[in-house]
Amino acid sequence: MPDQAMPAGENAALQVRNLNFFYGDFKGLNNVNLDVAQGKVTAFIGPSGCGKSTLLRTFNRMYDLYPGQRAEGQILFHGKNLLDKGQDVNLVRAKIGMVFQKPTPFPMTIYENIAFGVRLYERMSRSAMDDRVEWALNKAALWGEVKDKLQQSGLSLSGGQQQRLCIARAVAVKPEIVLLDEPTSALDPISTAKIEELIAELKSEYTIAIVTHNMQQAARISDYTAFMYLGELVEFNETATIFMRPEKKQTEDYITGRFG
Amino acid sequence: MNLYTRRLWVNRIGISLSMVAMSLGLVALLWILWTLFSKGFASLSLDLFTQDTPAPGSEGGGLRNAIVGSGLILLFSMLISTPIGILAGIYLAEFGRVSKFASFTRFMTDIMLSAPSIVIGLFVYALFVATTGGFSGWAGSLALALIAIPVVVRTTENMLKLVPTSLREAAFAVGAPRWQVSLRVTLRAVKSGVVTGVLLAMARITGETAPLLFTALNNQFYSTNMAEPMGNLPVVIFQFALSPYDNWVNLAWAGALLIAFLVLAVNIGVRVVFRNKDKR
Amino acid sequence: MSEPSASAGIDLHAQQVRKFHLQDKLFHYSTLLFAVVVLAALVGILISLAIEAMPSLQAFGPGFLWTNVWSVPDDEYGALAAIYGTVVTSVLALLIAVPISFGIALFLTETCPVWLRRPLGTAIELLAGIPSIVYGIWGLFVFAPLFAEYIQPPLQGLLGDVPVIGGWFSGPPIGVGILAASIVLALMVIPFIASVMRDVFETVPHVLKESAYGVGCTTWEVVRNVVLPYTRVGVIGGIMLGLGRALGETMAVTFVIGNANRINGSLFAPGTSIASTLANEFGEADPGLHIASLFALGLVLFILTFIVLAISRWLISRSMGSEGL
Repeated sequence: MPDQAMPAGENAALQVRNLNFFYGDFKGLNNVNLDVAQGKVTAFIGPSGCGKSTLLRTFNRMYDLYPGQRAEGQILFHGKNLLDKGQDVNLVRAKIGMVFQKPTPFPMTIYENIAFGVRLYERMSRSAMDDRVEWALNKAALWGEVKDKLQQSGLSLSGGQQQRLCIARAVAVKPEIVLLDEPTSALDPISTAKIEELIAELKSEYTIAIVTHNMQQAARISDYTAFMYLGELVEFNETATIFMRPEKKQTEDYITGRFG
Repeated sequence: MNLYTRRLWVNRIGISLSMVAMSLGLVALLWILWTLFSKGFASLSLDLFTQDTPAPGSEGGGLRNAIVGSGLILLFSMLISTPIGILAGIYLAEFGRVSKFASFTRFMTDIMLSAPSIVIGLFVYALFVATTGGFSGWAGSLALALIAIPVVVRTTENMLKLVPTSLREAAFAVGAPRWQVSLRVTLRAVKSGVVTGVLLAMARITGETAPLLFTALNNQFYSTNMAEPMGNLPVVIFQFALSPYDNWVNLAWAGALLIAFLVLAVNIGVRVVFRNKDKR
Repeated sequence: MSEPSASAGIDLHAQQVRKFHLQDKLFHYSTLLFAVVVLAALVGILISLAIEAMPSLQAFGPGFLWTNVWSVPDDEYGALAAIYGTVVTSVLALLIAVPISFGIALFLTETCPVWLRRPLGTAIELLAGIPSIVYGIWGLFVFAPLFAEYIQPPLQGLLGDVPVIGGWFSGPPIGVGILAASIVLALMVIPFIASVMRDVFETVPHVLKESAYGVGCTTWEVVRNVVLPYTRVGVIGGIMLGLGRALGETMAVTFVIGNANRINGSLFAPGTSIASTLANEFGEADPGLHIASLFALGLVLFILTFIVLAISRWLISRSMGSEGL
């Protein structure tokens, strides 16, 4: 892809090379190439069905759960191809966390929601776990609101709190990358603002990839933006460039709302 | 206008007939319940629970041996069918979405949901009673378990299929292995639904008589030995109702009232509880 | 925060990952094992019945199916009377149950006020929950006497002299018999048929019904010309489900069919069915041909219901667009 703008001078957390994706016979992604920069926020925008969520779901091999879905090409993570058959998916997912469109608290207490993932890969004492839970909830700016009701069900929280609980849960296992799949689309504006603040803070320690249908959100919080259309990566550059001086007509049409 | 009037009358008649059909159903339900109460209530007394079934032609007596026997047989059949049913249901929901073996199993369990229960009795007789040399409470439990299993399998699978995919994916997304996703997240999310299925399965087998005739048989004495023939309410009702003794017939009515009350209570109970869960 | 380097992290976790692999395999295979157990039990029923029935099948051959003799003293057995009773009671039960179930389903989906739908639907489902033995003693002690006194005589008076069908209503009005069993059976299968019909009626897209109402159809016409054709397959599936239930029903039939192992042209006469023969005789059957013949009866019943239920499941799942329920 010679017409591809690649941000230079950054360490790449993920290197996507010649990625194709198939739902059965339908091709969902067509030859995608890009680097997700370490310690930055990369946003994926585009109209519904453009493949932005599909791309995100290849990063932690979520598509593996569904027979008939497959990916070809390379996604390099620490020099190894995530798509290799031999790659352990559980481990990939522990290193690359994910938060979904709708809040998905597990049917257990707030404390257990956090501890569940941590316990999978780490042995620790009760008090160390208490510390970790507090740390994660602090990271998600939720500690103050739930510290007195850690033993209540995660389902008892409000929608915005549930989503922050899910972020805390993803952060608690200390992943390197956090994938956010339209994390605020089911939330009210106040909760959305809180989550956006949170993302800005988290990027100092984590690489973040976010799919959003909200262009203002992408402009506000991301360092890099990828515009996708019909399964192809149309344009990828620093967010400021994409929004101020897009190179492609399609990109410009989309961000100015003249798309159609 | 003539045609239009005719069409209206056809409609009115059709709708009225549907109301008649609905009322017939309701009348049947109420009639049966009323009969049970009017005939069974008279024989309800403490003796029913403290005395054993009386000898032919004698007075008094109760159903203690049958009630205890039924309780034990039910308990063990649920202990057998619940884990088997839930695990098989998990297999169908978790691993069997596209496999041929799973669709065949699903098809067979669907058929077994409505298969004649007396045939299950024959099967357990051939497999268990004839080979171990006797009727026993165990054989009865096994027969009832075979009837309960398909109910548990199908409710478990259907409940698991209702779990939002995002919740399953979220559990996988923290790096959990499949068994933990299944047992600790998705199964727990549908706990109340699965419990409902188990309770309905229990209600279903509580009144089953036919499969017990050749497996648990009956026992006119109090016994808690599962290796021996065991008294149980359905078979006692069957024998007593067809007997010429008024005392036995009255006890049969009391037994029928007990069983129907229990079954309907479970049926209504799970509906009420589950409905509240839905709302929350 | 100091993150451990990723490759070190992966090494640290390698052991855990291997454990998970093993556990997941174990989980997969143990749930598979239970699914196999379930399947094996069901297939085992067919096999074990066939094995136990073998002596009888060898002694009487396929003629077992159409021989009208059932004599324990002579040790000669044929299934015709039992098959006749089973089929006649089930078919009669359906003739009664189908229109009523259709009416109930129509009422619940089209005309019932919304707030009444749930309680009335539940009431019909409760009818399915009542144990069959309760239907049995109700049928024997309550229904049959009333039937003998108030329904059979007028029926006989009305239809007894009509040529051909008159014979169906001949004989003493004693209550118990083929017709009484059919009516009790009908009552028992109504909730099953009505539930399936209600469920498939609800799959009709609203736009379809609304467009029919839009051209001025009455409720009855919408049901006849839109709902029924659209759900035809599922409705037939529901009826087959009811048939499968009726064929295998034991206790209710045993109480009211009269238990006479012969074929009588009259529907008032006592008869027998496969299930009631098994319930009555199996407990005291002599080893040898008698018990083998009873197993053969069971095999016939199982195959019969299996075919009916398989067709029903296939039709219902085709109609509902998904497997099962």
